[in-house]
Amino acid sequence: MVNMDLLQGLDEDEATRVLELGKRMTVESGGVLFRLGDRADSLYLVARGRIRLTLPIEVRGRSENVLVEEEGSGHTVGWSALTPPYRFTLTASAPFETEVVAIEREALAAYFAAHPQTGQAVSLNLAGVIGRRLQVIQAMWVREVQRMVELRCA
Amino acid sequence: MEMLLMGACLSMFGLAITCLAFGAATRREEDQSGHKAAPAVERETLKPAVMPRFFVEPPVVLPLAARSRVPIEALLLQIESHVRLEQAAAESFLECPNASLLHSRTISPLVN
Repeated sequence: MVNMDLLQGLDEDEATRVLELGKRMTVESGGVLFRLGDRADSLYLVARGRIRLTLPIEVRGRSENVLVEEEGSGHTVGWSALTPPYRFTLTASAPFETEVVAIEREALAAYFAAHPQTGQAVSLNLAGVIGRRLQVIQAMWVREVQRMVELRCA
Repeated sequence: MEMLLMGACLSMFGLAITCLAFGAATRREEDQSGHKAAPAVERETLKPAVMPRFFVEPPVVLPLAARSRVPIEALLLQIESHVRLEQAAAESFLECPNASLLHSRTISPLVN
């Protein structure tokens, strides 16, 4: 559990206390953890399995949920719960049985207020997670733009 | 006087011949233009197709996946595979950021 990206740098006791704020949930194979546009009150740490993050794309006139990102165990999904307007911007589902720890925003905020050092460490980890995703998506976007330019200039 | 009349008659005769010749020549041109009216129209209709078209976008070359009517499930799998490959390429770029890694070629069938 200490290998979770959000808990990096915390000692085992601290990490356990943070995890105890959450609730373990099992998402059945094919089940949906949250949907695009839902209220985001909890963030999720993937303890076991895999979570697919998808967005709807029109394919031949049909709206299809297309994979945008995939996260395995140790990774965090649903950080929309920590940033206004607290709405999920993707749909998360499990391709097979997956276990997550759901931590509510309010519980996390209250714990961080009482334990500012832990709060700072987790917040920095979260900034790292968000920053990394932003960089990956940015690079993917630039690659698509490059292809579009090559196609138009061909 | 006789000479003058003779000259006038010859002039009139010459003028008449000139008019006839002019008339005949003109009629032949009209006839020719009448016969070739249809090909002229054809040429006119063909012209725009072969004329160079400036300020017109080049034809869009669709990727293979878009061109062929592959089943939607197969297309979705291709998209998924494309996203995974692109994510891996983006992560390689972040490990060692440089322009050649950023624009490395993909083997994704969606864009090849």
